[in-house]
Order: sequence, then structure tokens, then C-alpha cells
Amino acid sequence: MSDKQQIKRNIEKALANENLRGALGRFGNDYVGARERAYTGKDFQELRDRIAAVKGDAAARMEELARRFTESAQARGAKVFRAGTAQDAKDYIKNLAQEKGATKIVKSKSMATEEIHLNEYLGRQGLDSVETDLGEWILQLCGQKPSHMVMPAIHMTRDEVADIFSKETTQELSADIPKLVGVARKQLRKKFLAADIGISGANIAVAETGTLVIVTNEGNARLTTTLPPVHVAVVGLEKLVDVFTGVKSIIEALPRSATGQKITSYITMITGPTPAAYPDGTVQEKELHIILLDNGRTEMQADPVFKEALQCIRCASCLNVCPVFQLLGGHVYGHIYTGGIGTILTAFFNGFQEAGELQNLCLGCERCKRFCPGKIDIPKLIRELRSRVVEKGGLPGGQKFVLEKVLPNRKLFHRLIKAGQLGQKPFQKGARIRHLPMFLAGLTEGRSLPVIADKAFRDQARNLSVPEGSSKESTPDSKEKVGFFAGCLTDFVYPQLGQAAYKVLKHLNREMVFPAGQTCCGVPAVLMGVRESAVQLAQQNIEAFEQAGVDAVVTCCPSCAQALKERYMELLETDPAWHERAKALAGKVQHVTAYVADKSGDGSSLRLKQTGGRVTYHDSCHMKGCLGITEEPRQLLAAAGLELAEMEGSDLCCGFGGSYSVKFPSISRQILDKKLHSMEAANAATVALDCPGCKLQISGGLDSRGKELPVKHTVEILAENL
Amino acid sequence: MTGWRREKCRSGYCTLWKCWLIPSLAPGRRGIVMDGNKLEQLFAKFKEQAEAISARVYRVHDSSAAGRQLKNIIKELNIKKIAAAKSELVSDCLKAIKSQDVVVHTSDLRQHSEDAELGLSEMDMAIAETGTLAQDSTALDQRLVSTLPPVHVALVRIDRQVDKFVDAVDYFNEQDLLPGYIAFISGPSRTADIERVLTIGVHGPEQLYIIFVDQAGGETCE
Ligand code: SF4
Repeated sequence: MSDKQQIKRNIEKALANENLRGALGRFGNDYVGARERAYTGKDFQELRDRIAAVKGDAAARMEELARRFTESAQARGAKVFRAGTAQDAKDYIKNLAQEKGATKIVKSKSMATEEIHLNEYLGRQGLDSVETDLGEWILQLCGQKPSHMVMPAIHMTRDEVADIFSKETTQELSADIPKLVGVARKQLRKKFLAADIGISGANIAVAETGTLVIVTNEGNARLTTTLPPVHVAVVGLEKLVDVFTGVKSIIEALPRSATGQKITSYITMITGPTPAAYPDGTVQEKELHIILLDNGRTEMQADPVFKEALQCIRCASCLNVCPVFQLLGGHVYGHIYTGGIGTILTAFFNGFQEAGELQNLCLGCERCKRFCPGKIDIPKLIRELRSRVVEKGGLPGGQKFVLEKVLPNRKLFHRLIKAGQLGQKPFQKGARIRHLPMFLAGLTEGRSLPVIADKAFRDQARNLSVPEGSSKESTPDSKEKVGFFAGCLTDFVYPQLGQAAYKVLKHLNREMVFPAGQTCCGVPAVLMGVRESAVQLAQQNIEAFEQAGVDAVVTCCPSCAQALKERYMELLETDPAWHERAKALAGKVQHVTAYVADKSGDGSSLRLKQTGGRVTYHDSCHMKGCLGITEEPRQLLAAAGLELAEMEGSDLCCGFGGSYSVKFPSISRQILDKKLHSMEAANAATVALDCPGCKLQISGGLDSRGKELPVKHTVEILAENL
Repeated sequence: MTGWRREKCRSGYCTLWKCWLIPSLAPGRRGIVMDGNKLEQLFAKFKEQAEAISARVYRVHDSSAAGRQLKNIIKELNIKKIAAAKSELVSDCLKAIKSQDVVVHTSDLRQHSEDAELGLSEMDMAIAETGTLAQDSTALDQRLVSTLPPVHVALVRIDRQVDKFVDAVDYFNEQDLLPGYIAFISGPSRTADIERVLTIGVHGPEQLYIIFVDQAGGETCE
């Protein structure tokens, strides 16, 4: 079975698993609040800056720190082994066990040992290696894999656990959680007391002092590192930090981000061997072996883009807030490291080929980026992975043609879209393509064709006039020239958004112009990994707006705004002259809603009609997550006399990302279902939002379910109330 | 900056790094708060935080009052066997316990901690922000009594409080040599691995009692 088929099969399996979805969904909902409470009184931005600095510096000097760690740990009496590959690490442990005549091993949770499949290997050597973390033990007993980095058995129910424990203890156990935990305590306690070797991981390794830091809740790591006379710690090179005080920021963030705890029950810092009781009853220094594991990490460090992933502290918050992960859990990823960051790590630890398919699972909502305490731009790394996979493997024919040949040719591209308009059936329903160029790329099924407007905004814009009924006010900064960037959806599907923006800006006494040389923002090309086309589109747009000589640039689409504001500089990074021009444009770009809020005193100078009624607001991923705009639209809606009825999870994704709904329709549908559900529960007369893509997705979803709830862009509501 | 560290030691329990930890906890050291008001504030904060994570927090006047508190716990839980890691405060506290009530072990703890119902030890520091206890646990006994028995009773001198976790890190960082095993303990052992239901006492203690002692005797830090 190909990777692709395997993933599709895993997805269907995961979607059919009610337990998993229930548990992950509930956790996802609770998590955000718990995390926020745990961070009360802390400045998360400042903290993540510190972590990024500590970890980034350590990653840059990985080899140096590894050497220093080795020296310090050895000076304190530990034995340090540098393992280049997974096999090296496994062999070392096997040989050690043989040398000691050891047969019984206890393990506390460690991603590094899972990464190298240590248990299977030791099992084959006839060694009894027992996982002592409760979740890991459950999985070991039933031969399953972890589905989450922090909560490995989150996909299982108490009944399943009762069955597994009943088998293990050969007695009938009821599905009572405290009792089941008690059974585990009793069983595992025997293992701890009898063990010859304890194996652990480490969350941090301090080069200066040779210290290992282990963060746990259950206390199994304390027993693992206290009872057996031999302790082996398997530590990935990315765990190194320079000095002891470097542990501060990581420990401050890890429990808060991982489980919403201010601190875990136990934090253990081990420096060198400490006394242990030997089987003969004597107390002597134990043996401490530290395996520093490379297994792809040096390669990652040498990569100018991916080295950023070494800043990860494995808190899993990027999984907890990921709408796809919440639906599917970790098994779909097929590897130990799951979710977005897992995809990147898998690329280096297991191979690019395997990660190539996995990266498709990312919606591009960018929610994870806001939460990551390591300040890793996970979406950027996924995009990079995508373009490298495309560079290597290429795209299917149709997509390749459109993305590489049609898209950069503005005239051809726009002609083809208009041709598509002629071909579409009248009264088409359920329009579902967020990034319009995709529909030309043959990625859509018939019913998903977007409804293309009769007259594109670019054609309407030629004769824009002062809309009727608008008053001309004179303000000191009147006649600021504002360039309108339409983006494909506003241009070809929702030209009324352009009209609304025009009306509102006119009212604010701004001159709005439409530079005709503009074209697709390039996001679809970036998301599909076709960097070359994206660069050409960026250059076309930069030129168009330079020629128009505008003071500001506004757009109705947050994804376009982000492309213009950030992506172009990224794309043109290697070309200093173009980079400068991209930067000049970026400085002028604003989402239209933020622009209007800013220029109108949060709507007060618009003197809006007070229509009344309840409105619920959907925070688009790129609006809130990337542009950081949440308050402005709410203020403007309030200025129009609307009562804001917040829906639950207003910032959860609506389930659309480029061609996503076509590649993974079942995932997209379920994410949308959740969104629509909370929207309806808010009991409002209107849904307001600020993204034409979300408008398409949500109104399409409501429509196909026979719901008559108007979905409007904030600027449309403002224009109606002038 | 160094030198003085080795001058006095009154702990006696630390077999490996003897004399290093406790003297550096002496008055005026950074991170250890002396001001009476501040001390009360920290205690209040500690109590709130520790109780929020299921620890029980008491405060007594001196070591014999600590002994009486311990006796209450023994009675309430019907404890028959105790494993205690030695320290001056622990010994003083144990004086209140009559041998007919309960058997107390202070040696061969690897063996006795396995079936002791209560472990007793003195912790070096309390961190208010998170309700956390910190200890140089290099000595094996210290670790055994706080990991194996289902109940852990921890004694702390009231003047051994710091505000934040990072203060504790700074404190340890200032020592010439880091202790071999530093333990931070926040509440009893817990898991949420089955259906995310929070369950107390999976591998470590199910109950954590923390007794703060105002006048611990000996070289106190008034
Ligand atoms: S990438 Fe960031 S959010 Fe994700 S696990 Fe790593 S540190 Fe946590």
C-alpha cells in the first residue's frame, strides 16, 4: 500500500473512532482555557522569546555543547556515549545489559526511545523492558502506539483499559478509573523493585553542569532513576542548553503549555551518579549512562530553514490546538512525532519520503504558530517541506500546468477564470473553493465549482463612481490614496466586497483605486509548494502597486493581506532589491476592516445607522492568528448598533485550506460541522466575518444544510449601515 | 564567595554533599526571604497553590508541635509503620511519637520504605508561586521515603521560602557544585492518562502533607 493510501485508510479509521474524537475534542476545548489560566501573570511573548533564544543558541552550537556536556557529565562520574544512529543507541543498551547480566528493565516515558523503537528491539533480545508511564504501559500491554505526545493513550476508554488490565492480572476488573490506576500502581511497583536497569529520557540536558532535567507527573521517573542500580538516559541532542539557568524559561513554559499546569508534580534534576541500593543490600553510587542521540539532528541543524525545529520543547500544544489533530489524533501520522511539528521531525528522523504525504494533512490555518512556546514558525516549515517535496517529486500534470504556466500569466489566468464563469451552471450551490486558482488546477469535483460573478471586480472597478447616498466629509487627511487589492475571491466571486469597501472608504473621504496589473496573491502556489510561480506573482503585484503610487493598500482577505505583508519578503529574501520593494509594500498593507476601524475611531466617525439585532463573529484563522486582528471588527459591529453574541470557539477554523476539502473531504466536512454547530448555537441573525474564503465555506455549508443565516463580511455590514 | 560554605553544617543527613546545601540557605542568602511580612505573604500564597494541587498544608510553632501534628496524621490514617529520612528537625519531631503507636525506621530504608505507610522527611525549600517543595535528594533515603510510601509528610522551616521557581534555580545555581539529585515536588503523584480523568497517587505518594515549622530550633534563621 502506498503512503497515500495508508494515510487515507488511517483517516477513515480515525474518523470512525468516536472515543478518540470525543476525548480529543473535549481536551481541545478545555485546553485553551486551562493553558491561559496557567499563564496568568506570565508574559508569554517574553517567555517564548527567551526560550527561542536559549534553544536557538544551543541548536546553533550543538556540537560544542555536546562536547561540553560530555566533559561536565564525565567529571561528575557519568558515562557518556554519543550515538550517531538509532542502531548505535540500541546496541549500546543491549551490550550494557549483557555486561551487567541484566534482564529486567523499567522505563519512564521518553520520546527518544520511542523514536528508535527501543522496546521492540530489547524484547527481541529477550529483555523484559516495561513502560511505567501509565498511558505507555496500557499501550504496551495491548500492542498499540501512542496517539499523542503528552497523553499517549488518550484514544482509549476506561472499558478498554479494564479489559487490558483484567487480562494482565487474570482477574475481572471493573472500569473504575481510580481502581484501575491502583492496579497499575501495584503491578508496576513490583517491576520497579525488581529492575536491574532504569531507562529514562530527559527534557533538558545542561552542558555547563552535565545535568539532566526530567519533568513528570506520575513519579515513575523518580522511581526509575532511584531504585535500579543502573540508570540509562537517552537524550536527543536538541535537548541541550548551554548553562544551568537556561532551564528556567523551559520549565516555566513546558507544563503550562503541555497540560495547562503551572508545574508538574515532579521535576528532577540529576547531575552525575547518586547512591543506590544494590541487590546485596549495600548502598553505593549507581552507574549513570547518558546516550546523546543524533539520529538526524545534526543534519537538521545544518539546514538553514529546518534548524528552527530544534527549538521545540515537545509540549504538544501545537497538536492540542490543531483542528486536524483534534479530529484524527496521532495514529494517522504513523510515527511517534505527530501533528505539524511531528511531520517536520519525521522528515529528519524517518525520511522525507514519509513526511511528504503527511504534510498534506496541514490545513494552513496557522493556529499552532500562536501557541508554540519555542516560537517556531511551524506553518513556514510545513510550506518549506512542501516545496522541497514538490521540487523533488513534482506535481501531477494538470496542477503543474496551471500553477507553473497559467497562474504567472495574468491575462491568460483571468481569461480562463472568466471562461469558467460562462461554463458554470446557473444557480450553482455550495460553492467551495477558497483559493480560486485551484479550480483551474483540476482539483475540484463538479459540485464544488465556485460561483463566479457575472462581472469581475476588476471590470467593475473601471467605472467606480461615488455611490449614492454617501456624504462627503472633509477631514484633515482627506484624499489619502488607497490601493485596493482584491485577491481572486473578491475579484471573481464576491465583487460586492470591493464595492462595499469602495463605499466605506469614500465615506471616509479616501480615494480608492484598483491597480489593474494586480493578480492572484500567490498563496495557492506557496501552499502547493510551487515557489517559482509564487515569486513571479509577488513581483507582478509589487509592480502594480508601485506604479499606482498609493499611500496605503487594503484588502478584504486576510490571507492576501498576510501574503503581501509577510510572505513576499520571505519569497524574495535572496534578492536584496526585490526584498526592499516587498518591504516597502508590506509597510502599507492593512486588512480593510482594521484600516477602517483605525481611520474612523472604531466606527464612530462613520455615524452608522443603528439597525440592532444579534450578530455572531467568526475569527478567521489568518485574521486572528496571522494579522492579530480581533477587536476592531467587534468594535465596528458594535458601532452599527449590533449586539455581539459570541459563539463557542469563535477562532476555530472553518475547515478550509486551499485544495484541502478536495484532498480530504471528510476531514474538512467534520471541521465545518463543528463550526456551524457553534454558530447556530449562538442564536444570532447574522454571521459576520472578515475573509471571503470563510464566507464561501460557511455560507456554502449553511446553504447545503438548508439554513438561512446570512454570512457577511464586516465591510458589507458597514456599507449597508451608512 | 566560596570558603564559608564549608564552615558550618548542621544537617547531618546529606551523605555526599554534606555541608554544602544547608549553610548556603543561611540568612541573607539571595532567594531566601527574611522580612516577616514577605514571609507571611509567601506562606499564604504557598498554601493556596499547594492546596489547589491536593497537598495539605499546616503551620506549627516548633518541632514538638510538628510532632503532635504528625501524631494526628498517624491516628487519622491509622499508620503503623513509618520510614523517616534523618535530619535534626525530623528527629525532634519524632520525639513526640510514642513507640507503642507506630514503628519508626530511620535506617535500612530501601527495605522498610517498601511497606511503610508513611514517609517523613525535611525539605529544603518551599516555592510559593507553584506550591512546590525543593530538596537536595542526593542521599538515597531522602528519595526513598518520598517516593515509595503512599503518604509523604514533609517538614519545612518557614524561613526557607522563595517566591518563584526561577529563584530556586538561581539558588541552586549559586552553589559551587550542583547537588547530584535535586527534587521538586508539587502535590501528590497524579495521572490523567485514562480518559483524561485526574487521578491522584499513581506511582508516588497518594497524599502529601506539608508542615511548616516556625521555630525549628538549632541554628535558626531569626
Ligand atoms: S513545535 Fe512548539 S508547540 Fe509544538 S511541541 Fe514543539 S514547542 Fe510545543
